[in-house]
Amino acid sequence: MTEKTVKLPKTIGVWTRSDSARIVDSSNIFDYMNGAGELYLAYGFDHLEVYEYTTADQQDGILVEVYFMKTANDAFGLLSMDWGGESVAIHALPSFQTSPSVAPPTRALYGGGLLRLWADTIYARVMAYRETSESKKAVLSLGQKIAADRKISAEPELLNILAHSMDSGWKLRKDRIGFFRSHLVLNSLYYLSHQNILNLDHSTEAVTAAYENISDAGTARSVQLLFVKYATPKKAQKALNVFHNAYLHEHQKGIDPGVTEKNSNFFKIEDGWLGYTINGAYLGFVFECPNRESAQMIINHISRNTEKKENERGK
Amino acid sequence: MENNPKLLTRRDFIRGTVGATLAASVLGVPWAKGTAEVDRISIVTVVRDKNVMDAGFKVDSKILKNMLDQTVLRLTGKANIQEAWAELVKPDDIVGLVPTPHLNPTHPELVDAVKISLIKEVGISEKNIIMAQGGKRKPMRCTALICMPALKGHWLTGIGTVIKNYIMYSGRPSSYHQEKSAKLGEIWLIPEVKGKTRLVLVDAIHPLCDKGPQPDPRYKWAYNGLLAGTDPVAVETVCLRILEQKRHALRGEPWPISPPPICVEAADKAYGLGTSKMEKIKIVHFGWKEDLLLG
Repeated sequence: MTEKTVKLPKTIGVWTRSDSARIVDSSNIFDYMNGAGELYLAYGFDHLEVYEYTTADQQDGILVEVYFMKTANDAFGLLSMDWGGESVAIHALPSFQTSPSVAPPTRALYGGGLLRLWADTIYARVMAYRETSESKKAVLSLGQKIAADRKISAEPELLNILAHSMDSGWKLRKDRIGFFRSHLVLNSLYYLSHQNILNLDHSTEAVTAAYENISDAGTARSVQLLFVKYATPKKAQKALNVFHNAYLHEHQKGIDPGVTEKNSNFFKIEDGWLGYTINGAYLGFVFECPNRESAQMIINHISRNTEKKENERGK
Repeated sequence: MENNPKLLTRRDFIRGTVGATLAASVLGVPWAKGTAEVDRISIVTVVRDKNVMDAGFKVDSKILKNMLDQTVLRLTGKANIQEAWAELVKPDDIVGLVPTPHLNPTHPELVDAVKISLIKEVGISEKNIIMAQGGKRKPMRCTALICMPALKGHWLTGIGTVIKNYIMYSGRPSSYHQEKSAKLGEIWLIPEVKGKTRLVLVDAIHPLCDKGPQPDPRYKWAYNGLLAGTDPVAVETVCLRILEQKRHALRGEPWPISPPPICVEAADKAYGLGTSKMEKIKIVHFGWKEDLLLG
């Protein structure tokens, strides 16, 4: 069983921490970080341990925040909100020893004094208030201590729906993959509506990702994929109705009989073609396609993969 | 929600129907009653000094004081600093300073510089200068407010700088997140606040161009500037332009602020607090020109 605390050194370099951590849970998270707490509550949040490392002159400390999430997927989701930064190693073993990765294989990203990492059910932020070569060394060392002895979990299984490329032209932007359970996080990654028009909640798992097509002239065109796994097929159907009413209310509901893949429909709207597909508990969307053919090709791909997953679920 | 077509969506931003949708959903006041048709130009000053902050993020108070002086001189068009401040506040005013304490806090050196100017240049007694950030009671006894946020994005409202800076005066800040962030402008019209803001002074020394929700040093940069005006919406509009251009420059591709900051246009068109149209804003720049981000 994963330990519900981390063992951090009392002293690292010129920094020393207080004897005990500040413990933050859902009852007092807003006291600690105001509205930022909404982000962690949008995932499966258990508790947070906060350590402050300071120097003798109380200058330029290091803040360590260790978020204990309910699942490894939740911790992955927090890291996936931003894939920017320098990839750094925090585990003794390389991460590719787990199953092949669709998302960037990194488990830890560093930049400007801040290290963000995912280690099993932990998401952590280790931040030096002023970046120096010494502080970077200390921050990375603390990251390794946090990750030590933690399981190297696989990325969320839902990501397997994503292909590295589709129809040769469309390439996955790995740096634009996000895993989430809340419309607040979705809106931070790809804005759809201020309201929760997909009925997302803690029982759902959702992934969004961008695919890019570079034309011969060198112009890049992006489309956005979004798919959600609901707790039941009934919930998926209900969510699709809510989405349709909110986003496509002037269009007729239902499945397009003209498409080869069942359970799909396509609409021309202001920013291009939108397609959706439903397979049991899985709902998939593509936005901003340049034409119906590309929307149909991408939706067919999602549909095949979600159907496969739905069949596996039913076994 | 199932049969409600009046939900704000991505499509409203593409169609240009944000106002109509918000008016029909959360605002409860008509759209476009604001300043759009008023034939007035709002001035926003952008004063920068490359050396106001060093590599260790330490702010030089002397340079900052000079920047503040240049700000009020250029904003008011007056020849000397006493006359310039006199345009904004009076010696018998009780002045509330409203800095931002969270995420990317206002530099205390800027708060000190304003206090010193109010005492020295205007003659306001120290006891009549109040730290007024907080609950509804804070602005009550103030006769003048100086809105002093730092430039930053916000993960629930898109931008969290000028218009959002009075959110605590509402007494119910969580009521102004997500779609209801469009209503942030109404807080500027509550009796305790209405008409009291004499100066909007944005700390853009070390802004944060992403929304957080926690600070990420990769998205902070040394802009080394102060932005100011008497039109809060115009100042926020210029702030937004700087954030957008910095984000584009960082990624080398469009990186829209998400969720879109609906409070800015709503502050103009629903609450009439000022203009959100760049063509109605005159930017007066002074000092360091590099990476101005106002192209």
